[in-house]
Amino acid sequence: MAEFQALQTATAEWKPHQIAKAGDIASMAEAAGDLANVVKETLSLASAGMEVVKLLAQLQSINPLLIALDALADEVLIAIQNIKEAGFWYLYVDPYFIKNVAAEPAFTYGFEQLRNKGGDRLWLAKDLATDFSTGEYVQTTTTPTQAQLDSQEVIPHLATPRKMIAGGYNPYKGKGVADPLASMSPFPRFSVQQVIGEFTKAFDDEGDVPRYRRVGGAPKAGVVVYDKDGNSYSGWDPVKEFGLDLYDIGKDQEDGSIIKDYKAARKPINSKIAPGKPNILGDLNYVGGSGAIAIIIAAPSFDIFAETFDKFSKMFVDIPEFAATTGKGLLDSLNEVLTPANTVIKLTQCDSNYELFKAGDIMGGQIYGGLTKVLEVNADSVVVSTMTTQKEITATDDAGNILRYVTTINPNEDERWIDMEIVGKPIRSVDGLNPFITGDTVYEMEQRGTRTDGTPNYVIYGQDTVGAPPSIRKYAKTGKVSMEKLAVLPDSTPPDFGGIQIKEIIPGWGEFFQTLENFVLQLKGMISDSTAFIQDMIDMIKGIEKFLQDLIDAIVEFLEFFQITLPSTGVYALYLPNQTGGNDGIKSQLSGAGGIPDLGYAAGILFVATEGDVFIAGGGSKNPIDLLALVLGLL
Amino acid sequence: MAHPTGKWAEAEIRRDDIKDLMEKTKKLATMYSELLKIKREGWENVLRAQVKKEAKEKEKQNG
Repeated sequence: MAEFQALQTATAEWKPHQIAKAGDIASMAEAAGDLANVVKETLSLASAGMEVVKLLAQLQSINPLLIALDALADEVLIAIQNIKEAGFWYLYVDPYFIKNVAAEPAFTYGFEQLRNKGGDRLWLAKDLATDFSTGEYVQTTTTPTQAQLDSQEVIPHLATPRKMIAGGYNPYKGKGVADPLASMSPFPRFSVQQVIGEFTKAFDDEGDVPRYRRVGGAPKAGVVVYDKDGNSYSGWDPVKEFGLDLYDIGKDQEDGSIIKDYKAARKPINSKIAPGKPNILGDLNYVGGSGAIAIIIAAPSFDIFAETFDKFSKMFVDIPEFAATTGKGLLDSLNEVLTPANTVIKLTQCDSNYELFKAGDIMGGQIYGGLTKVLEVNADSVVVSTMTTQKEITATDDAGNILRYVTTINPNEDERWIDMEIVGKPIRSVDGLNPFITGDTVYEMEQRGTRTDGTPNYVIYGQDTVGAPPSIRKYAKTGKVSMEKLAVLPDSTPPDFGGIQIKEIIPGWGEFFQTLENFVLQLKGMISDSTAFIQDMIDMIKGIEKFLQDLIDAIVEFLEFFQITLPSTGVYALYLPNQTGGNDGIKSQLSGAGGIPDLGYAAGILFVATEGDVFIAGGGSKNPIDLLALVLGLL
Repeated sequence: MAHPTGKWAEAEIRRDDIKDLMEKTKKLATMYSELLKIKREGWENVLRAQVKKEAKEKEKQNG
């Protein structure tokens, strides 16, 4: 008797999948199957119906149509069968939409270093050129060597006052020689190699195994239980999960007769709750045939990646992660990253001595790092700041008595300080979208260089003149945040391709089949040739014709997307045909395959299928992966 | 050209399975509509004949 252990907890990432099992594609496939079956059922009755209407001698002409229809309905059913035969495991790696892996920011924090207008970092180098040099620090844009930094012959010219920023000067990270801007992007990066790493890692997850949980009526702990082949096991505990399907001993007799077939007598005591990583009948270390198709969407810039990823998701809308009918769609999510919703920021104590913010300005929060482009200033909101304070007044009278009293004064009598409300378009910093927090001081910003994706790097206007003589000092517009709120809701991405249309049709689907059923019943009955009956029949046919037309329209729209191929730019595929090395074979081929550049923004999906016993889809393979390769255009 | 096996390469991904199923279903729906149209026209002819017959009988009864 075998002794077995309950499974440890682990995050299951592999999922079973059957093409066209989710979302609109599944609905459409189901509708197609229903239609084909109904057509076949009604065809046999068509002749009977035509007996009555053969006044026009149409019976002869209709026969070929009936035969063709019957054959076509069969073809539809076969196509559905082919799709259903193809079962896969899939592993979806998505750092951006579902976020089942964490994209890492490509920066560390450090002190803000000044830059010139061209974006070059400013350094202070000791003047040691000649014997007469003073040894004072002189500003330069020449990047020092590590040795110069270590000896403090050159030091970074840091902003005053010191400020910690993402991608600032960090003496510990790369020792500060490399410019962080060259590798910083406002979008989280997840590279191609990281996606491939996740693909291979998933094969190693020892906890990712098939899991079974007790069902009602399961025996008590300690009872001997049996696997599907009748082997006995001890160690059963109904509160734990196990890795195989188990049965009780079953009854030995029923109605006074001895049950000879133990399979008929037994009852399952648990049911599968997680499929585990690819396996053959629960065996993870199988050495049988398995194959894989990996698809990676990758691009060097986030916007191109987002566009391709969106198209990809529409093409694979039968993957449950892409078939979500509620909430934001993929493009909405990505758009929110690309173009966040506008916000309204109320400012107070804007100093009119240094000009007020106007449309087109870039405004940034000093402490919390909020960054926004001013789209407009609400004209009605520009008012003088209400400022009151109390002041003690002392006065000495003629007798020498000192009188003290407190009076309220307005320190903004000259109307220097202004309140205003601006509408801003948030700008992503490399550490994400930072809000404007009440009390933070905001400044006008200016561009100093660009980040790796070409987006501007902003710094406080004139910060490189702090410490310079007042005559050449540049002062930034400034104010204080009193409140931030969302201006408008994010724009919703309009519904995409036919998937949305089919949803409009599906609610009527049941009604349609009810009508068809009645139609069939009436034909079967053929009990009356009254005018009312005939009119009823005509109306019913008209209803079905309309519904079919709606269905055709939906399919046409649905097909519009599938008629095109996903452009190859940014879509990389790896096809590993059926091989005999099991999961280990796939893993080693996955990690060893070349031919893909390591681009910065990537997501991917890995399909794995194991070899079955029978040839599928009438083809020459027993592995559904080869069928998938065929339909995806890889064969 | 077939996609290379065992090597990453850019691919023009298609969904021929869905396309094939949808095209066949569309054809089936179209052809079934044609059949229904013929049947409807047939029934409409029957209805016209019926109405005519009933009118004639009524005329006969009325003398």
